[in-house]
Amino acid sequence: MKQILVIAEVFNGRVKPVTRELAAAALDIKIKQNLQQISSDIHIIVPSDDPAAEAKKIAEQTGMDVTGLKIPGLKAYASEVYLYCLDRVIRTMNPSHVLAAHTSQGRDFAPGLALGLNAASISGVNCIQSHGDDLVYSRSVFDNTQNMVIRPTPDKPVVLTLLPGVFKPAPEKPEKSGRVDIQEIVFTPGSRGKGRIRHRRILKKPCENQALKGAKTIVAAGRGMKKKENLEFIFKFAECFSSSAVGASRPLVDMGWIGYEHQVGVTGAVVAPELYIACGISGSSQHLAGMKDAKLVVSINKNPAAPLFSHSDLCITEDILEFIPAFLKKTEAGESSA
Amino acid sequence: MKILVCIKQVNGSGEMSRFDAHALEEALIIKERHGVPGPVFVDVVTAGPADAVKIIRRAFGMGADQGYHFVTKDTGYVSSFVTASRLAKVAEKTDYDLILTGIMSQDMMDGQTGPMLARIMDFPCATGVVKTSPAAGLQTIEVEREMENSFRDCLEIRLPAVLTIQAGINTPRYPRLSQMLAANRKKITSFMEQDLFPDPVPGQESCIRMEPPKKTRSGRVLEGSLSDKAEQLFFFLKEKNLI
Ligand SMILES: Cc1cc2nc3c(=O)[nH]c(=O)nc-3n(C[C@H](O)[C@H](O)[C@H](O)COP(=O)(O)OP(=O)(O)OC[C@H]3O[C@@H](n4cnc5c(N)ncnc54)[C@H](O)[C@@H]3O)c2cc1C
Ligand SMILES: Nc1ncnc2c1ncn2[C@@H]1O[C@H](COP(=O)(O)O)[C@@H](O)[C@H]1O
Repeated sequence: MKQILVIAEVFNGRVKPVTRELAAAALDIKIKQNLQQISSDIHIIVPSDDPAAEAKKIAEQTGMDVTGLKIPGLKAYASEVYLYCLDRVIRTMNPSHVLAAHTSQGRDFAPGLALGLNAASISGVNCIQSHGDDLVYSRSVFDNTQNMVIRPTPDKPVVLTLLPGVFKPAPEKPEKSGRVDIQEIVFTPGSRGKGRIRHRRILKKPCENQALKGAKTIVAAGRGMKKKENLEFIFKFAECFSSSAVGASRPLVDMGWIGYEHQVGVTGAVVAPELYIACGISGSSQHLAGMKDAKLVVSINKNPAAPLFSHSDLCITEDILEFIPAFLKKTEAGESSA
Repeated sequence: MKILVCIKQVNGSGEMSRFDAHALEEALIIKERHGVPGPVFVDVVTAGPADAVKIIRRAFGMGADQGYHFVTKDTGYVSSFVTASRLAKVAEKTDYDLILTGIMSQDMMDGQTGPMLARIMDFPCATGVVKTSPAAGLQTIEVEREMENSFRDCLEIRLPAVLTIQAGINTPRYPRLSQMLAANRKKITSFMEQDLFPDPVPGQESCIRMEPPKKTRSGRVLEGSLSDKAEQLFFFLKEKNLI
């Protein structure tokens, strides 16, 4: 029997919630394979220094069988250790699929793991579909303007990293827990001597995005604002709303136009305001990850094909530098007539 | 110290992929930082069609020393594994201490080329690097890699190594005019696929079609003049009590 393997995302000794999304995707794959008369088993692997408690928990939450992969000394994620240990363990299994999260961890080890297993490797998967007798996987390309549907070479295993937030875990608890076993593997570095990557410490970048988190309305600026000085328009725009804050896409922070505490997205703040107004933001998956739960999304972009328009309630195709002044004029008129 | 930077020509615009400019800038910063004993050389490599020489010239303009061009004749999808195998063949010709790539390319957005290249060459690898500090010797490099929720991982990596570079690490310089002019006279070393790969590397997957992204919201489009749209938005927000 083939196996669908899920590599749990572990941080600080804890299995992260995204692991349940991976389990949901594994179930989706199993069901689709069943329709094609292929039966498979799902198996979750939890790599950790001390995996017992977390392995038990995820087995109860998903009802799936779990292997707690005990790797002595593994205090924090380390690519070298993951590649070495997972490679050895997975070789003893018979996987059709290996699933990891498309996060700073999964993106780091999955491509190397695939190479070791002589598997196909597809990153940032946002949809799994049947295609004749095969399963095919889509991922965003060309600045998120299109999805590319990819088919792995048949009869080979495939390693997938799955975009977080796409595959929804089942809300109810399964009737019975999956089985748990603990397997120990010791990382012994190869011919080049001792481990080549030494983990020093984990830092937390200071950030105070309380303003973003509490705001009812977020007016967010992207590269479409063209230059730093133009951000003045965004602040004026934001002043039209009673409880508001200014957000920004990452490139603006990287270029030093605005502080990190304004950044929205997977490496910034995750927000869910009543209203999110995106000004000159294209709509990358990394930005979407930070604002897709807003109640209402209004986008202003001069490109009618901007990807964010597919994720907006209201789309305005205009030059943002002309639109904001026009809008401010209307509000002034609106206020005085009210 | 010898550094190789992998640069990619974006399918469509023909420009150097955005993150690769950050990777090249980081190599040049290491070169200029004087922390490392002995001279530092910064080479660039691209696997791409004939006109990809354009981005090598740009890299020369920014300050790269040598340029390598793996000439490709691909017509469709190129698997990251194939790209990594091609780059490895060129990289293996020199003893590089450090190989830098972008965190992902603007067109394929795959982020797999760097980690795969590392595995092929048996180098350690760190992805999403936002800070580098080479130690005084040539033995190790300290890096910070970005994680979610404002966390950073601080690592000390033994050289030779592969790093994939995230935006925000630096501000790429513009090519200098004088260097651009000199760049036109500089030699680019080209390699033909058939010379390096008598048997072409098979990809592990193929692209079967392109699709528009899925809609997650209604996407109502406002019509009319600029002023009409501004007014419509105003009343829309007013009606919902948002303004
Ligand atoms: C690991 C990783 C993590 C990341 N984390 C984040 C994150 O947390 N947050 C984030 O935002 N990004 C993040 N990014 C970057 C992300 O991939 C995109 O590069 C970024 O979101 C793009 O920002 P943008 O939309 O402002 O710029 P662009 O993609 O350049 O889009 C600019 C938009 O403005 C429009 N425009 C141009 N001129 C005008 C005008 N005059 N009027 C109106 N519209 C105009 C254009 O049509 C275009 O759609 C991350 C990337 C990686 C690899
Ligand atoms: N054809 C190529 N030539 C040179 N470098 C490349 C090529 N394709 C990808 N790269 C490098 O690998 C990085 C990641 O690309 P990708 O895996 O396509 O997202 C890029 O930022 C480049 O540094």
